[in-house]
Amino acid sequence: MNIRFFCLTRKDLKLIFSGGSGIIQPVLLGLILVFVFSLSTPIGEEVSAQAAASIFWLATSFALILVFNTLYSMEEINQARTGLLLSPMPLQLVWLSKAFSGLILLLLAQLFFFPATIVFLGQESVAGWWNLLGVIILVDWGLVAVGSLLGAVSQGHAARDSLLSVVIFPLLIPLLLAGIRMGAHLLGDAGDENLSAWAGIAFSFGAVFTGAAIILFPFVYNEY
Amino acid sequence: MTYLIFGNIAVWTGIGGYLFYLATVQKKLDLRVRQLEVSADEQ
Amino acid sequence: MSDNSIITRSIPALAITGAVGLVVAQYFIWVYAPVEATMGILQKIFYFHLPLAWWGLISFFVVFCSSLVFLISKNPFMDRLSQSAAEVGLLFSGLALATGTLWARAAWNIWWTWDPRLSTTLVMWFIYAGYLVLRQSIDNPHKMRAVCAVLGVVAFLNVPLVFLSARMWRSIHPAVFGSRGGGLEPEMMTTVLVCIAAWGILTAGILFYRVRQLDLKDRIRNLFIF
Repeated sequence: MNIRFFCLTRKDLKLIFSGGSGIIQPVLLGLILVFVFSLSTPIGEEVSAQAAASIFWLATSFALILVFNTLYSMEEINQARTGLLLSPMPLQLVWLSKAFSGLILLLLAQLFFFPATIVFLGQESVAGWWNLLGVIILVDWGLVAVGSLLGAVSQGHAARDSLLSVVIFPLLIPLLLAGIRMGAHLLGDAGDENLSAWAGIAFSFGAVFTGAAIILFPFVYNEY
Repeated sequence: MTYLIFGNIAVWTGIGGYLFYLATVQKKLDLRVRQLEVSADEQ
Repeated sequence: MSDNSIITRSIPALAITGAVGLVVAQYFIWVYAPVEATMGILQKIFYFHLPLAWWGLISFFVVFCSSLVFLISKNPFMDRLSQSAAEVGLLFSGLALATGTLWARAAWNIWWTWDPRLSTTLVMWFIYAGYLVLRQSIDNPHKMRAVCAVLGVVAFLNVPLVFLSARMWRSIHPAVFGSRGGGLEPEMMTTVLVCIAAWGILTAGILFYRVRQLDLKDRIRNLFIF
């Protein structure tokens, strides 16, 4: 079963990196977002850590939408989806492998967003690089769980990006709140913060949506 | 006090608006049924 | 759903009882319930706000249950119930937000408070608005029903997380947030219960009517296709 999972992940990643815009679109969109947002404060004024964290997670969310639209659009050509559905493995493996590929792509995009946030939004103090990495991975887990579950939903429409955004963004709000508060804390906004409670929220979010995805994915990914 | 009036206006406009929408849908359904009756008569 | 099913037959009764109930509730609101000490007559907007928020959330719960049942049984009635409950829920929670905003403006002179209940209602409004948009966007009816049922289940699973995170978010901003509905006098409590009951009957009436209308729409569409 592991082999199939890795085969799927490798196939998706290869396809994304070999042909077409792949990862470039989400990265560019996120960078543009960070830059435009930096225009919102007058020159000389500081951008608060919370604002910086918010724009980082906003850029990540938009990247999430684009990444999963791309990942799921690959099986739309030539009825490749039927091939996946027929292969001898539980459908949840498809969800898991898409989620994992999405996680890798998202982390790659965030690799660009993070320096941009530091540079354009003038964040001087970063407390705890390992903590930051842990927070990012924890929140990303929830993001890709939702993205992989609902990514297949909007395929086949011209307006699939906006449709997926409208559907996914409200669902992500608790996770984004957690990410913003934890990010703000680690970017130097040392208010009396209950970090472990926010981490608990992010963890519950990931767990609930992973469980929901395992049960519900076969209903979403079907032969229509 | 005016806020109370605005609140009432909002609530009743909202509910009325939805009921109006339901009524328009019903009119369209009625038109369809009449078209079906006509085409059934022709057979 | 037959023309004589219990849902269809109960619609007129529910509508009339609901309307009468609302009239009775008006008496309770304006005559029976006392005027509140601090906010005066403006507090009466609460008697709209609470039933609307309450029945909005319950409608969303109905979406959750009927979506779940639909995924298991594939009964199209459950799908229609999901759609109707989502529409009614969206309407009521939207009105609850509007009345809550007016209350906040009148009582504390701010348009929006990060009150966790209000914030949860707003997020749920967005989620179910997306649900209805999704319904319109997918052409294939089988795919649409299955996907929307999944979204219906997932949306309500989010509620406790949204509420918890909204509450934790607010605790960092100890601004002016009075408690709504805390410390109710007994007459006010009776009035609230009467209002909730009246709005509930009306909600059921509207819901059943919309379910029946969707059923008719499907039946006519099937006739047309053949």
